[in-house]
Amino acid sequence: MEYLVFLVRRLLWSLLVLFGLSVVIFVIARGMPGDPARMALGPTASADQVAQLRETMGLDLPLVTQYVRYLGGLAQGDLGRSLLTGRSVSADISDTFAATFELVLATILIAFVVGLPLGVMAAQWKDRWPDNSIRLFALLSAVTPTFLLALLLQILAGYVLHVLPTTGRLPIGAGFSADITGLVTVDALLKGNWAILGEGLRHLILPAFALAAASVGQVALTTRASMIDVTSQDYVEAARAFGVPERVRVLKYMLRPALVAPMTILGLSFASLIGNAFVVELIFAWPGMASYGVRTILQKDLNAVMGVVMVSGAFFVMVNLAIDVATGLIDPRVRLGGRS
Amino acid sequence: MVPGQGPGPVMGCSQLGSDKMKTWNKVASAGAGLLLGTALAGPALAQTVITLDTPEVPGSLDPSKISDAGDYALAVNLYDALMTVLPGGALAPELAESWEVNEDATEATFFIREDATFTDGSPVEASDVVYSYDRLMRLNQGPSNLFAGVVESVEAVDAKTVRFTLSKTFAPFLATVPSIFIINEEVATANDAGDDAQEWLATNPAGAGAYLLKDGPSGSGIVIERDEDYYGGWNESPIDEVRWIVAPDDSTVRSLAASGELTMVSAFRAPETYDALMEMGRFTQEDTSTATAYLLKLNTQLAPTDDVHIRRAIAYATDYDTIREVIYPGEELTGPLPPAFADFIPEGLPAPEFDMEKAAEEVAQSSYAGAPIPITLGYVAGTQFEEEISLLLQSNLEQLGFEVTQQADPWARVVEIAGAVETTPNVNQVFFGPTYPSPDSMFFSQYHSDSAGSWTSMEWLEDPEIDALIDEARSSGDPEVQAAAYGELQERIVDMQADVFLLTLTFQLVMDECLTGYEFVPMQSVPSDFTRYEWLCD
Amino acid sequence: MATRSLREEPAAGAAPDAEPPVTTLPEAEPERLSAAYQSWYRFSRNPTAVIGAAIVVICILAAVLAPLITPYPSHVGAVVDFRARHLPPSWEHWMGTDNVGRDILTRVVYGMRISLLLAFVVLGVAVPVGTLLGLAAGYFGGWVEVVIMRLTDIALAIPGLVLLMAVATVFSPNLLTTMLALAALWWTWHARLIYAITRQLRSQEFVEAAETLGASTFHILFREILPNCVSALAVKTSLDCGFVILTGAALSFLGLGAQPPMPDLGTMVAGGTNYLPDYWWGSVMPGCAVLVIALGFNLLGDGLRDLFDVQEIR
Repeated sequence: MEYLVFLVRRLLWSLLVLFGLSVVIFVIARGMPGDPARMALGPTASADQVAQLRETMGLDLPLVTQYVRYLGGLAQGDLGRSLLTGRSVSADISDTFAATFELVLATILIAFVVGLPLGVMAAQWKDRWPDNSIRLFALLSAVTPTFLLALLLQILAGYVLHVLPTTGRLPIGAGFSADITGLVTVDALLKGNWAILGEGLRHLILPAFALAAASVGQVALTTRASMIDVTSQDYVEAARAFGVPERVRVLKYMLRPALVAPMTILGLSFASLIGNAFVVELIFAWPGMASYGVRTILQKDLNAVMGVVMVSGAFFVMVNLAIDVATGLIDPRVRLGGRS
Repeated sequence: MVPGQGPGPVMGCSQLGSDKMKTWNKVASAGAGLLLGTALAGPALAQTVITLDTPEVPGSLDPSKISDAGDYALAVNLYDALMTVLPGGALAPELAESWEVNEDATEATFFIREDATFTDGSPVEASDVVYSYDRLMRLNQGPSNLFAGVVESVEAVDAKTVRFTLSKTFAPFLATVPSIFIINEEVATANDAGDDAQEWLATNPAGAGAYLLKDGPSGSGIVIERDEDYYGGWNESPIDEVRWIVAPDDSTVRSLAASGELTMVSAFRAPETYDALMEMGRFTQEDTSTATAYLLKLNTQLAPTDDVHIRRAIAYATDYDTIREVIYPGEELTGPLPPAFADFIPEGLPAPEFDMEKAAEEVAQSSYAGAPIPITLGYVAGTQFEEEISLLLQSNLEQLGFEVTQQADPWARVVEIAGAVETTPNVNQVFFGPTYPSPDSMFFSQYHSDSAGSWTSMEWLEDPEIDALIDEARSSGDPEVQAAAYGELQERIVDMQADVFLLTLTFQLVMDECLTGYEFVPMQSVPSDFTRYEWLCD
Repeated sequence: MATRSLREEPAAGAAPDAEPPVTTLPEAEPERLSAAYQSWYRFSRNPTAVIGAAIVVICILAAVLAPLITPYPSHVGAVVDFRARHLPPSWEHWMGTDNVGRDILTRVVYGMRISLLLAFVVLGVAVPVGTLLGLAAGYFGGWVEVVIMRLTDIALAIPGLVLLMAVATVFSPNLLTTMLALAALWWTWHARLIYAITRQLRSQEFVEAAETLGASTFHILFREILPNCVSALAVKTSLDCGFVILTGAALSFLGLGAQPPMPDLGTMVAGGTNYLPDYWWGSVMPGCAVLVIALGFNLLGDGLRDLFDVQEIR
């Protein structure tokens, strides 16, 4: 029951954040200097043509009316029509979002699969050389510019060593359509198409690692810190006194509560992860929201820009909601205190 | 303008071409977007597969929204038009087997081939042409601006005959017809969700072109394959499949080429990239002259470039040889018309020269002499060669007492600041090539008052005498009258130094030795119509 | 935010390496040693902090003295020499030359100037604004708190880089726009930090005592509460210097940086990518410069955190 109240509270709060986000984005988008109708039609269009498009786009209505119309559409999942592609923005974004989602998912996976053991190791060998080198690595990963890392990986693996592909999700012309979940690797697995699975993974490695580096360090550090914190707790001491085997003690009594901190940190830093995903996607020609977003931003394709920012924001809110739910399950204390 | 759009029709809206091309540059911070072909024999399939790099996949496949060379390169393969353009610039039949023009050139009637079919097998009829034209004008994008105010109506005379009625004599009309790609009305209306099928046509072709969509479009590329039943027929060793791979920057292009994935490279990459590819040994490089001019457009209404002496000083302070030899490949350009229009270029137009002493003399003669002269140099952000040219010019102008501000803008912003005299920089780097095979395209878009406020006319001439000369040539059917008007236009524009004529673009084509068929169409052509290519190796 | 903590236990109060400092000080007259000296002593015993401080000081000095110490100061402007383009690192050009033949070392040093300027301007705006709003939200509570804190929550839900690109592109892309856009987002982090501290302090005895004595709100906020925020603020600001520089570099890498010929590290990296891998120094050198500055501020911030023994407060 208490967990349910906690969930409802978080959900309502997420909706409020999304609403606020929509206002902010709307104000910025409509505050843009320049005329989106002129941009859409190109320089040779006549004044009449521009006026006509302004009317179609509703640009001549009062701002509040425009916002209400936008919000009404938003509620129905309608983000308006993209001037650049002539398609609905939701269709454009749903075509590209799966790729971004797959990349981000792989990144989070790497962050935990690599970061957790590193953190546990560092805690076990506190202040010895494994600890120090892990901390150094974490610091470097936090301050290395993502674009530099992405470029170095691309050059090294793609150009110098020729071991991994440097662009796209699959070889072009592979003729595989990810029509179950939209995630190439998952769909290939479901369909039992091992060749495509292999190719998908090969393409995923470089961008995912470039994006994950910072998160790996982060997860390692927070895991390490909370492991050390937990070690001194009474119940762990008690478990040791009762002779609970080391492996069980570390995994069950220590790692589980220690998971909350890295998950929370990851949620908070998720917005910057999406931002960096833009850089990584551009460099590796990953067909996600980024190239669409950048293109539409440059073309002042209002609806599309608002859509991309809105979806990124919603993604952030969702991930944090999911993390709240998960941490609430792992650690009951979270439900009571919340984390705001 | 983008230097070249396929050997097919030269698109009316290809001014916008450079538009997106620049945008690409911006995004990719690499050379920009022409799509060239590459050949790569598909292993085991015994199929000829061409693989090309592209900075970006077009936003929409809709032929009524073509706004650049990238859009066009796809559309010309997926769609056919009534007419097409041949190497040399001549108009040739495509869907129409013949046409008639009435005496005062206000009516053009086209007769569609009996055997012309769409890719779904249904016949191409006059009603499809009417639908395609009406839709183009309704959407009011892409090449529609070529026809607004010119074409009064388009009607189907019978199933295979269609008539265009013009509101006035417009000499270059026929040259603009290849811009209208014909859409399959039946298929489009069946998929019309109240939006003129925009949503559907953005990702699905419905044309009579020689190729079918196979995979994509997605952010990582697009693939088209040969339609064996193409009504126009095929050569003996046709290209079966064409793949565009998105490669945002030059390092990616090299890495693709090195791993053997890429065998033909787009233009506008850095010269170092071509050198590196040639070292790989399996490419040939062909440099072809184009009809595209690379200009510094000088804002003639804004201080200090409102003074002709300042404009001439800039022209003298431009190091043409270094630009052509080191920064960007090209040939000499003497005036508004590139050498491809040699027939219209008057004798004795002086070649531009680099002479700092003469530049200093011009500055001394100007009304701004004696004090530091502030000047703004505009160019497209992210294009290395434009930045290099701008820096070169800055270093020379600073020696003459100018106070230089560099203004790099993304292309979308350049289009916007071109809308007003005050926001247009003093000096603007622009590529411009004819958008239809007629000198009219070069003059009207750049120097006529009706084009003012567009990036093509950042000179802000607004000169009634220039307007009168352009109108005279447009409304006359007599080639001699046209030639005389064009001759005088060039002399005047060169004399008033509205532009610095940097160079005529040389198109660098690096492709596999096995591929042939590339013939330059002297109208801004990208070799993108793959029906004209052949694969010579086994 | 990418995070940074090199500190020891997140919750535990006293870090073990901050062992009772007084006992390790010279026996004589410990109580006469000024607090400043004690701080310095503890600071100097923390190797990462010292390295960080050294990097930061060297970078700032280099940036300030750029015209004196760079080998080709004129190369910061529009100097072109196409015969010298893409020269590899050598004795004359330690970091090689760029695509128009300019010395990269010179431009990197001047580029650090811009990066540091960016960080100082952005934080110069964001820190005071964030501090004021955080103080107000934490002390007054009620609707002030609701409005300000919900605003920060929304701002944190926006993918910063994406929004910054949107903002910076629609205005003409230049250094000023980038700075303003960054500042417009960055204050929220400081507001949240100060808010959290203020809320804790509000109910503490010394604040309540001041209230009872009828001290003005101004006095309570700026004389009682603010001084207690200073150390946390210093740590956060130092760490943020690094991250502002990283974000600024990412923005200019995407094409939203300073106008040429002004040397901007992110722009230089982006320009250099056209010539990879043969002329790698064109983008790797400026990229490493960004890394070094960011590293310096991070080490310094961590050192300060140990020094002030600041707890991580969210």
